[in-house]
Amino acid sequence: MKLTLQVWRQQNSQDKGRFEAYQVSDVSEDMSFLEMFDVLNERLINEGKEPIAFDHDCREGICGMCSMYINGRAHGPWEETTTCQLHMRAYNDGDTIVVEPWRAAAFPVIKDLTVDRSAFDRIMQAGGYISVNTGNAVDANAIPIDKHDADMAFAAAACIGCGACVAACKNSSAMLFTSAKVSQLALLPQGGPERKERALDMVAQMDKEGFGSCTNTGACEAECPKGISLANIARLNREFIAAGFGTED
Amino acid sequence: MKWSQFFNTSIGKKLLVGATGLFLCSFVIVHLAGNIALLKEDNGEAFNTYAAFMGHNGLIQFIAWGLKIVILLHAVIAIQLTIRNRAARPVKYAVRPKGNTTSSWFSRQMAIMGSILFIFIVIHLSQFWWSMHFGNLNTISYDGGKEIGNLYESVWFAFRELWIVALYVIGMIALSFHLVHGFKSACQTFGLNHKKYNGIIHFIGVWIFGILIPVGFAAIPVVIYIKQI
Repeated sequence: MKLTLQVWRQQNSQDKGRFEAYQVSDVSEDMSFLEMFDVLNERLINEGKEPIAFDHDCREGICGMCSMYINGRAHGPWEETTTCQLHMRAYNDGDTIVVEPWRAAAFPVIKDLTVDRSAFDRIMQAGGYISVNTGNAVDANAIPIDKHDADMAFAAAACIGCGACVAACKNSSAMLFTSAKVSQLALLPQGGPERKERALDMVAQMDKEGFGSCTNTGACEAECPKGISLANIARLNREFIAAGFGTED
Repeated sequence: MKWSQFFNTSIGKKLLVGATGLFLCSFVIVHLAGNIALLKEDNGEAFNTYAAFMGHNGLIQFIAWGLKIVILLHAVIAIQLTIRNRAARPVKYAVRPKGNTTSSWFSRQMAIMGSILFIFIVIHLSQFWWSMHFGNLNTISYDGGKEIGNLYESVWFAFRELWIVALYVIGMIALSFHLVHGFKSACQTFGLNHKKYNGIIHFIGVWIFGILIPVGFAAIPVVIYIKQI
């Protein structure tokens, strides 16, 4: 099929940026969205032009690197699907596809469709960890954990940190990401010792990075490629309230 | 975390908006319950007695002034958050999804509906509350009792005008749209999200606060207008 792409091109973070149109032909419906970009980039390189910069890594939908805002949807039209797992059979011959980078003050554009998501790393550094004593490896299953809690923690841990929640949110809020990371640890006994500091510090860092606040619209949950639930945001709120009201300093 | 820091975080501010919002939700129930007396065609005895009691009871007056502070607090913090939220996306997307299905329309109009509601509240207070406390309301006495302000009369008089009735209906549409999302959203902010209770929270938010109460309020000017045609 033949498609028209409107792709955001931006030389660097200082550049204003603009859309550029590209005609791509011979697009197979079995191609992934990123493979179509690979073909286009190969052509651009052969023509002596600058290829389009975009993030990608595993191309299996589990690493959280790909990040395109496609026709007004984070990761495109398919539910619970990352851009790399989006296939061209989602489109018809003659379609025009507009591709933009994630838009958020906290995610500055590095180049073209690549944005700097290190704000997420700093939120993790603020408290998204547990302390483990060194020494011999502890027996697996040494600590009994309720199956239901384990399942919920696992569901929260499915977050790949791609930033689609921020991209989809009208406030560019990082609450779904932060809440998933707080939840996966808050639900397990291993997360206990740092529980209060974690909620307070990660929220403080989230605010510091310039993400907006959550207005509970649910757009993040709808666009999340891993189906992270809004229930995690409620859990983060509970953790934060308990920590804020319960700590002495 | 100190209180000053806690209530300066995004969640801390949201907790204040949610708490004030839920307080205002409880207020609209009381307000509607009292207003129903307006529909009683008893020359205003029930309503004026109720209004006089509310206007002269010390505790209720204390809460009434607190209520105005709560409305301002709710608005000011919500504006702070909205400014912050807008700043979080300096460059807008070129494409906005058509028929946006990823979030409810109501949830995206909170600031607009809240603003309409705020304007409505200012008009409403200047129209009735101001005239009752600081204006020169006619007085009336029932069965030789004390002279009390005849707010009933001025309400019935005001709702002869179609445009005032329309204004009140618009105000209540804004209230409805604001609370359809507002009540549920406040619950979520307080962490009340639980499979077993989400159904009842949704029901109260949409059917009680989103429909029953606004329709009840809007019915009063409409009925009074129709009765006086």
